[in-house]
Amino acid sequence: MFGLLLRRAGFSLLSLLIVSACLFFLTRAIPDSPARIVLGQDVTEAQLAQFERDNGLDRPVLVQFATWVTGIATRGDLGRSFITGRAVSSEISRTLPVTLELVVVAFFLSCLVSLLAGTASALLRDTIVDYAIRLVAVLGVSVPGFWLALVLIMGFSVDRDWFPPGGMTPLSAGLGEHINSIVLPTFCLGIFYMAVLSRMTRASLLEVLGQDFMRTARALGLPRWKVLVYALRNSLVPVVTIAGMSFGYMFGLALIIETVFNINGLSYTLLNAIRQRDFMLVQGVVLVFTFVFILANLVADLTNAWLNPRLAMATA
Amino acid sequence: MTGGTTVATTVPLLHIEGLHVGFRNGDAVRHVVRGVDLRLEAGEVVGLVGESGSGKSITALSVMRLLPPGASITSGRISFRGQDMLDLGHAELNRLRGGAIGMIFQDPLTALNPAIPVGRQLTDAIRAHQPLGPRAARDRAKELLALVGIPFPQERLRAYPHELSGGMRQRVMIALAVSSNPSLLIADEPTTALDVTVQAQVMDLIDRIRREFNIAVLFISHNLELVAEIADRVTVMYAGRAVESGDVHALFASPAHPYTRQLIRCIPRLDGTSGAMATIPGLPPIIGALPPGCPFAPRCEAAEPQCSQDEPPMRWRGKHMAACYLAPS
Amino acid sequence: MIRTARRIIGACGGAGGFLGACLMLVLIGDAILAPWVAPYDPLKVDMISALQPPDAMHWFGTDQSGRDVLSRVIWGGRASLQVSALAVIIGCFGGVTLGLAAGFFSGGWLEQALMRVLDAMASIPLLIWAIALVGILGVGPVRIAGLTFGNEVKLLALLGVLYMPNLARITYTTALSESRANYVAARRLQGVSGLRIMLSDVLPNCLSPVIVQATLLLAIGIVIESSVSFVGLGVQPPQPSWGNMLADARNYLFSGEWWMSVFPGACISLSVIAINLLGDGLRDVLDPRHRTSTVAA
Repeated sequence: MFGLLLRRAGFSLLSLLIVSACLFFLTRAIPDSPARIVLGQDVTEAQLAQFERDNGLDRPVLVQFATWVTGIATRGDLGRSFITGRAVSSEISRTLPVTLELVVVAFFLSCLVSLLAGTASALLRDTIVDYAIRLVAVLGVSVPGFWLALVLIMGFSVDRDWFPPGGMTPLSAGLGEHINSIVLPTFCLGIFYMAVLSRMTRASLLEVLGQDFMRTARALGLPRWKVLVYALRNSLVPVVTIAGMSFGYMFGLALIIETVFNINGLSYTLLNAIRQRDFMLVQGVVLVFTFVFILANLVADLTNAWLNPRLAMATA
Repeated sequence: MTGGTTVATTVPLLHIEGLHVGFRNGDAVRHVVRGVDLRLEAGEVVGLVGESGSGKSITALSVMRLLPPGASITSGRISFRGQDMLDLGHAELNRLRGGAIGMIFQDPLTALNPAIPVGRQLTDAIRAHQPLGPRAARDRAKELLALVGIPFPQERLRAYPHELSGGMRQRVMIALAVSSNPSLLIADEPTTALDVTVQAQVMDLIDRIRREFNIAVLFISHNLELVAEIADRVTVMYAGRAVESGDVHALFASPAHPYTRQLIRCIPRLDGTSGAMATIPGLPPIIGALPPGCPFAPRCEAAEPQCSQDEPPMRWRGKHMAACYLAPS
Repeated sequence: MIRTARRIIGACGGAGGFLGACLMLVLIGDAILAPWVAPYDPLKVDMISALQPPDAMHWFGTDQSGRDVLSRVIWGGRASLQVSALAVIIGCFGGVTLGLAAGFFSGGWLEQALMRVLDAMASIPLLIWAIALVGILGVGPVRIAGLTFGNEVKLLALLGVLYMPNLARITYTTALSESRANYVAARRLQGVSGLRIMLSDVLPNCLSPVIVQATLLLAIGIVIESSVSFVGLGVQPPQPSWGNMLADARNYLFSGEWWMSVFPGACISLSVIAINLLGDGLRDVLDPRHRTSTVAA
């Protein structure tokens, strides 16, 4: 178990290194040099050289990359923005909590709902409940969240005054207000994976229910809930893998949803950085997203190793 | 029963009468078990023999009410200690399953939950039937593993099924089946998936345990020779029906049904007298497309015109029963 | 006649798959025939008839510049489908090649190296990278070999590359289990070369799960294209795409011009539903063992 953990963590680190290298060299490969972006077009060669020296841009790219990676690994320092001069990590830590809250709430809601709905759908196969859940799930995977957001804003914020059309009311304004302001965003963010995970839970549980060991569990006279636990231990493995991925992907969806609802989360930082061509910041935000994504996958793998050691070994 | 010479003075442990099991396919029902009678007394071992598709496993699963989806008992009675199994509610049924009736399945790799350590599976089974705390259940689980001959039972409690060998897994399966002191053990081809050497060990284990605890065994196999080792009585099934039934020695000494005769002839002999391996010509009939008359008639070496008209009923032939017009009476 | 109909429906995996296939045909037909099907020029500005609700002249109404929403929806579908389909084609070519290579060299260092690179690629969250890379590269047109392509070329190239690990892994798993099959051993004994076995025996067997997965990726591509266009980094205005039409519509949420947001969004949903229905149907037919799985943006 510990060996598996180390192995997986090692592969994840390797992936992160490869990916961050891609990212770093891509941002360095564009024709615009940071100096030109910051100083504008009409500057002297000497000023450009001075800027590059000040920011360490005159060193070989590999050395720059090594410095950057070392800074992240040792101090969690993502570098400094050439445009604003502020530390990238502090820019990110200002807006990350907002996005994180949306994603975490949406993630846990979709996991809970999909586990219940998928299990109900499988156990009540071919009943009206099953059909209803499956219909909603097909709609959920097909309707893009940001369009749903527009429609819901029209329905519940413009026509009726149920939820605010945008923005996130801070917690200091009261818990009720705060929750009210995140209902629509988290719903639009979570609906897709709610549907995906429900479908997977159902399919996987149905497959497991037909296996020999489920017959054994019933032949042993185990109580019904215990039989279900026995089934879930096996059927959740593929679901957990996708759930882990979905946590990371939800950050991506959150970018769009935040834009629709005018929420100043990481998306605001990223889109702003793109507009200002602040590549250090773009690079930092993307790296944080990628790190979260890889971490979530790692957590999913380890959860599976605990749920079902044999399957986990097989996929290792 | 047609003979009626044995009038039971006591209630049998397990009594199956006229069991019909059918698979529903649209509006049609295809019967895979067509009127099977079976009787098991306490402590007795009865073998149920037949080719795959003969309905022997379905008969066994019917007792536990564990039929696969789509299959259902269309008529007949199954009673356990005089209690009608088909009348039981879920709670009463669950008390019997794994309690008074234990069951062993063919492939121990697929029959054990791969995600749960064997110790946990044992304690769950134990605690479903006995009022034991976690610690007591664990001790009992350890005891059971030792009983089925697993070395280092304490350590093995934490093992997952895939970490054990095939023979060990089947031993665990047996431990699960007998964990709550059953009076009936249903063994559905318990050695088919195992190596020949392991097969003998598992057979010995089943025999030892059933003697030690006086457990009746319904032993299902396609292998007549294996059944002969352990069973007191044998019922041979063909195409969903019992075709011959009786004391194992009498049956071997003078098989009345041509199918049984063929089966006995197919047992390979170590002394090599039979020369080439004998086989039964032809294939078993397809369920749902049974020939008229005796289903074995198309493959039977002694078939007569009468055989292809009406299906012969079970009748007493000397010391055992057979469903054949040509059997010596 | 009835039998032929039954066979067609069966090939699509039942009624759902058939419905999906029909919807897909309509959408693809519209996209290909856009110049002839669309009633108006999607770019023609007509400020006098701006923000008209749906009527007999403009079935889906007009937008803030008086452009016909129906025509824009049809042309927008062409853009979305183009991006998504080309990305899937790139992904399939690359993914199948990489997967077969890893399967072919299984046991060697090349397999390990390939799998690690694929792992790294799979650990890239699609949507964010799409947004960031287009952001870094800028939304201007791309010139390749004297030809000028729109901004969406970057998007589809990136999507194609990021689809590869998923398709490669499916191919690899199937190729691995196939190449351990007895018939492959038999071919080897006949003296057939490994490469030939790979291409003529193993490859055809890998195709059904790849086709099913490709269908699902097609749906994801449409959603990603529209999302990226929505934040202004995909198809560039005035060229219509479902995503950038929704971005325009966002400014008219509060003033009641519902048709601007409802129609493009409904088209995205409808095409994704159609593709998913077809994909589920195809999976039942082509991949009963369910080797493919739903991955998503």
